[in-house]
Amino acid sequence: MSRGIFAPSARTMVVLAAAALAVGTGAAGCSSSSSSSSSSSTSASTPPPSASSASSAPATVSTSSCGTNPGVAATGTPIALGAIATNQPGTSFTDIPNMAAAYFACVNANGGINGHPIKLYIETEQTNPAQIAADAKQLVDTDHVVGIVGNTSIIECSVDSSYWQKLGFYIIDSGIAPECYGTPNSAAVNMGPRYSSDGAVQYALSQHVSKIVFDQSNVPGTGYIAAGPSALAAAAGVPIVQLTENVPISDADSVAIKEVDDAGPNGAVVLNFTPPEALIILQAAQKLGLEDHVKLWGCSTPCNTDFLATSLGPKWNNKLFVNAELLPPDVTNTPTMNLYEAILKQYGSAVSGGIGSFSQMGFTEAEIAVHALESVTGAYTVASVNAAFKAVSNFSTGMLCQLWSYGSSPTHIPNNEDSTVTPDNGKMVTAQGCTLISAVDPQIAAYRSAAGTAALEPAS
Amino acid sequence: MPPWSDFEPFIVSGLALGGVYALSGVGLVVLYRATGVLYLAFGAVGAMGALIAWSLMQAGAPGWLSWLVCVAFAAAVTLGYGVVFGPALAARGPLIKAVATIGLTLILYGAMDLLWTTSGGEARSITLPTDNGGFSIGQIQVNWTQVIALAAGVVITAATGAFLRYTKLGTAMRAMANDREITATLGVPVRRVEAAAWLGCGVLAGVAGLLLADLVALDATTLTFLVISSLAAVLIARLRSIALAFAAAIAVGLLHDLLTPITSLTNYRDMTPFVIAAVGLLVLSRHQVLAQSREES
Repeated sequence: MSRGIFAPSARTMVVLAAAALAVGTGAAGCSSSSSSSSSSSTSASTPPPSASSASSAPATVSTSSCGTNPGVAATGTPIALGAIATNQPGTSFTDIPNMAAAYFACVNANGGINGHPIKLYIETEQTNPAQIAADAKQLVDTDHVVGIVGNTSIIECSVDSSYWQKLGFYIIDSGIAPECYGTPNSAAVNMGPRYSSDGAVQYALSQHVSKIVFDQSNVPGTGYIAAGPSALAAAAGVPIVQLTENVPISDADSVAIKEVDDAGPNGAVVLNFTPPEALIILQAAQKLGLEDHVKLWGCSTPCNTDFLATSLGPKWNNKLFVNAELLPPDVTNTPTMNLYEAILKQYGSAVSGGIGSFSQMGFTEAEIAVHALESVTGAYTVASVNAAFKAVSNFSTGMLCQLWSYGSSPTHIPNNEDSTVTPDNGKMVTAQGCTLISAVDPQIAAYRSAAGTAALEPAS
Repeated sequence: MPPWSDFEPFIVSGLALGGVYALSGVGLVVLYRATGVLYLAFGAVGAMGALIAWSLMQAGAPGWLSWLVCVAFAAAVTLGYGVVFGPALAARGPLIKAVATIGLTLILYGAMDLLWTTSGGEARSITLPTDNGGFSIGQIQVNWTQVIALAAGVVITAATGAFLRYTKLGTAMRAMANDREITATLGVPVRRVEAAAWLGCGVLAGVAGLLLADLVALDATTLTFLVISSLAAVLIARLRSIALAFAAAIAVGLLHDLLTPITSLTNYRDMTPFVIAAVGLLVLSRHQVLAQSREES
């Protein structure tokens, strides 16, 4: 039998199919198993002012208030701190340690910590446990860091928790994995995906929806995250449907249709995705004319960006309600918020996202660390620095709804009070002020029980 | 099993998804038939063109100009790759030619990750004027962009088939893909014909990138690797039949979405293209073997 002149042979078909699979595997590898890592550090030198496009600090705000000796650069022995952040295609949290580094650069330019500059070593990882463990060892053994501030990683808490406990480190981080909240030696400034989803579901329940559809990325830990919203819905007697989606999403239309069908006209769809994935679903719903087919749409904190509000447009004003773990910078005019914007503008050239939740988290972590370091008397050692971190109690960060404490409790969810925002013509504005996350979530109840009670709100 | 009414909205979304796969799949088959290259950078080139268009629109450029730049960029990069690397790889096997395009894919993908970072939670989107109009089928709104994407697949399939079959240039492309050396000895200007094929594929990649950025997502990862799902349709078409690639793409999209309301299968629906490709290839191979043995006996 003669083949057509363009008919590839069976062998050709096999090798081309193998090539296709190799590309797919490569794609997965790019996002999950690259063994490369990179590190950087900030030193005592003052970086040149940046032109962060998103920041617009009031002209009258000076960054010199970040330090105790304005205008005098710190020249003493550096205090070495470390951070590990996920940085891979599609998922990068480097803005958080980079903003912490910007804060430290400001402190270093204005007296440092009793004359000592802070040097932050930043390691990046690609969700590879072996690489993450090696990063931690490098920070300790090679860089000789005395504290960990600014960690933000998908699995770092799970991988390194016991290592940090063994060495006596008390981490100040932005959490994702359960161990960031459920261990004695990690305290996050954010609520993380579970408690942020709790907040979004709690808001939907407060609007008397008849059903909740909770949809999230199909990644490790979905069961842990889903447990919070499930508990809240069960306590309210509202049925909840749990969905997961493989990311990146390439069939947003069918995802949106299923969510809306499952929720019904008086129900709510609550999403827990990164901003690009959430945007894909919400835009698909809009193009299909489905945005009004449910009572409301909700989203955990990652959706709280002006990028998303701008991309969605006015149809979502007062239709989408996003949990906000930190106070909204656009409408909060306080000295701390102004200092944050001024530091971002002057020192935040590496913070690509500008104003937003990620840079706010980095600022808050650095702020807490500096507050703790200023209380250290004597040498800056692992023991003294981590004792100071652990001793932070009822600290007003100016970024959170409540005072922040570390303490000795077996679990740490120091940020458990949030607000809710909604798009308003390209900006996120407050829809509901600070509200405690319900203790119906057993993890929140356990933390409050161990810590005494919910932390107070800052004095206005 | 859910009632039939639960499946109805997914027929519309499945057709739209099938149209998306068809746009990429048809482009891949066209270039393969013309040059013998499985162009795995098809998605990445279109994605980068769409991101450039987005940047231009953010800077205040008119939409039409941004769309033109998107198509021009994809055409220029594809043509450049074809002109520079095409002749050097012409004598190599199909696997080497395909793998070489992975190199271009990764370079473009890295550049996009660097230039249009998502580290600060950035989310981008492109909306076309055709998104605003349309009609309803049941409770689902069908917009003109979806209709255009599906129609573009049909038109491109028909036009390319006719072009390759009835025009001198198309015949030269087919001959060259079969045997470049013999075609050259017959006086066909090989390099010019190849360049035309690469340029045409680049234009298709740009158009597909723009439409997919609107229909799927303006996201480098999504658009770059969407081509992998399209490959299922291409493989079912055995890299030769544009019409079969189109039909397979529509079938893959439909089946994929019709699995969505079935709770026990919904999380596995992303496997649909590959399962269909595997089953399709097995069935086709079996038919081929049976036909061969009948001829021999």
